[in-house]
Amino acid sequence: MSVHPVPSDFEARCNAAFEAVMWAMARPGLVRDLPTTGMAQLVEALIDRECAVYCAEPGLAELAEKTGALAVAPDRADHVFVDDIPDRLLTQLNCGTDLHPDDGATLIAKADFSNGPQLRLTGPGIDGHVVVSVGGLAHDFWQHRRRALRYPMGFEILLVDGARVLGIPRSTIVEVL
Amino acid sequence: MSLKTLTKPWEAMAYGFLDGSAKREIRRKMIKAIAVPGCQMPYASREVPMARGWGTGGLQVSLTLVNPTMRVKVIDQGADDSVNAASIRRFIARVAGAPTTMDTLDADLIQSRHRIPEEILRDDQVLVLQVPNPEPLRPVQPNMSIARQMHADADYGRMWLQLYEQIVRSGRVMQGASYPSLVHGRHVMTPSPIPRWDVPKLNMAQHLTILSAGREKRIFAVPPYTRVEPLVFSDVPYKVEDHAGLTCHRSGTRGFFMNEIPQEDGSSAFEVSDSEWGVKAIRRRDGEEVALGETWYKNGRMPS
Repeated sequence: MSVHPVPSDFEARCNAAFEAVMWAMARPGLVRDLPTTGMAQLVEALIDRECAVYCAEPGLAELAEKTGALAVAPDRADHVFVDDIPDRLLTQLNCGTDLHPDDGATLIAKADFSNGPQLRLTGPGIDGHVVVSVGGLAHDFWQHRRRALRYPMGFEILLVDGARVLGIPRSTIVEVL
Repeated sequence: MSLKTLTKPWEAMAYGFLDGSAKREIRRKMIKAIAVPGCQMPYASREVPMARGWGTGGLQVSLTLVNPTMRVKVIDQGADDSVNAASIRRFIARVAGAPTTMDTLDADLIQSRHRIPEEILRDDQVLVLQVPNPEPLRPVQPNMSIARQMHADADYGRMWLQLYEQIVRSGRVMQGASYPSLVHGRHVMTPSPIPRWDVPKLNMAQHLTILSAGREKRIFAVPPYTRVEPLVFSDVPYKVEDHAGLTCHRSGTRGFFMNEIPQEDGSSAFEVSDSEWGVKAIRRRDGEEVALGETWYKNGRMPS
């Protein structure tokens, strides 16, 4: 038997970051722990030359460019990394088509899980309903999201607060309490 | 920018066999598959050292998820010790250094061909199902572009017609495995060729199910707590295989999905299909202390 292969730090980080993101998507409303803080680990785990990316933050944009991804405007991007969500961004995001819902974008944004309005989530991945507190977003953010989605067309939202991540897939119904 | 920043240190092999770009492709598509339950997402399926059709789709998902602390179980038609299962398990252990197990309760990641274990899966377990044909509409619409349009329109009338014709011709629904099921009230999917016995296990389950077809290059998922309803007419209830009254001739366990073993005198003996469940039942009968998990079926019935 040969020696067991050992993942590099990079590989281990990508694997752990994706596992957190996968469970965040599978169980919306339950906050998962990422291996480190920030969004750079998500760029490492998800982005390569197959992607068209919009990064608001210059440091992140540089990292994304190094992976070979195309830098594009938010309306053409399949992955959008922003700290603060600009007005009208949700109406610009790519929602895919009825034929190819997988073309819908993934929005990765900063949020604050310690305080903020309470949200009641229902949908796949949620046992009944779950209440979660998410701050740092515009007050009409969830209203705009609801207007922009037409299931199965839509986009996914990953909210990052330090080393924690919360997933809101398009299948989740969000009510602001 | 120097040459050094553009390269990586030399490695004999990428960890987990798949290279980084293959893993990122699967990761991106898995996110979309989980977000739209039951909807088939095309992905760039890679070559793995195994023939297409032998579980390459499931293997690529497993290799993407695996890490040195993730305990892996692989089953083939319920058995842990068949050639296909043993080979895949050994391959994953060899390229990822992952610990392996046969016990459903110990496993973090379960790659399966055509069965769901009898013990209830927990909310931290991932079930990866290998899918030979991901398109439930193929028997009624061989053109996959038109089938995609039918999925987009939620146009599933022909699926119902197919079931109706089976009932008219044969008096019952003849679909044995891969029973078409409506996921989250929107997309009809094939649950992969699991028996009808296993389909109710997916409904509102606690675990995450990823279904991946390597040859057909599609991936889809059933997240936890998601409705999975087999297509049935309201006056013709869904029926699972009539195995509730059968007893395993080796372990004596009763009320689970069985394999039929033809005997020389023309009769049949039955053996529990979930081999590790049978093994554990035998070890317990022989006086060992073995933890048996809660099962989905109780006394051969699925509690509703």
